[in-house]
Amino acid sequence: MLVLSRKVGEVITIGSSVTVTVLSVDRGIVRLGINAPKSIPVHRKEIHDKIVETNRQAVKTEISALKKAISKSRILLNNDKSSNVQGKLLNFPEKITDNQQE
Amino acid sequence: MNDKTNKEVTIQTPHFGKLTVNEEMIFLFDNGMLGFEDLTNFVVVSEDESAPFKWLISIEKPEIGFPMLSPWLIDLNYSPGNHYDIEKQVFFVVVTLENENGKMTANMKAPVILDTENLKGEQIILPFDKYSTNYVIEEK
Repeated sequence: MLVLSRKVGEVITIGSSVTVTVLSVDRGIVRLGINAPKSIPVHRKEIHDKIVETNRQAVKTEISALKKAISKSRILLNNDKSSNVQGKLLNFPEKITDNQQE
Repeated sequence: MNDKTNKEVTIQTPHFGKLTVNEEMIFLFDNGMLGFEDLTNFVVVSEDESAPFKWLISIEKPEIGFPMLSPWLIDLNYSPGNHYDIEKQVFFVVVTLENENGKMTANMKAPVILDTENLKGEQIILPFDKYSTNYVIEEK
């Protein structure tokens, strides 16, 4: 790991497109200003890790459990009101299946 | 994209059996899904029986599928911010259901955005604290 010391207002560059500026240091909290192109997502690591974990749980969802939850009406959704927030959904390229094991 | 026109791929999925997918339905995720960075090609699959849920299924590993909902089905005021154009980009949130009696949650913080014009997809992380990664959408 590269270790650098910086004062408030000083900057680190990462490649030619990312800069990290130390904005303030106060009682153990460092505020950083980060400039990066949109193609480089910047996030707090704990949030990134939580979403990775959430995705790993999501792929374990069984369609049978989902269907049972739907049939028991355990899901509270705005079915009517929200249907046209995204008109694009009407012409959305998707695979529609009747689950007849082609 | 032109060279892909009218090509089909067949995948074997645990949820839907064998599916033949036209390549015009395949979304390219340059960065994959978070935690699944090696998977870059996905198709959205839906069936009447499990509507309004849809599944984002990996072409490379068809056993990997993310159940999804439109975030506006969950929250009519859902607002991903000014950087996005909800007229051009279709938003979904990933849903988790541990078992049929478990809690169903939606990841409102990290929506999947699909661009229907260039068939690109990505999962983003919204910078707002108000959206939870585990928003409970049903109780009992």
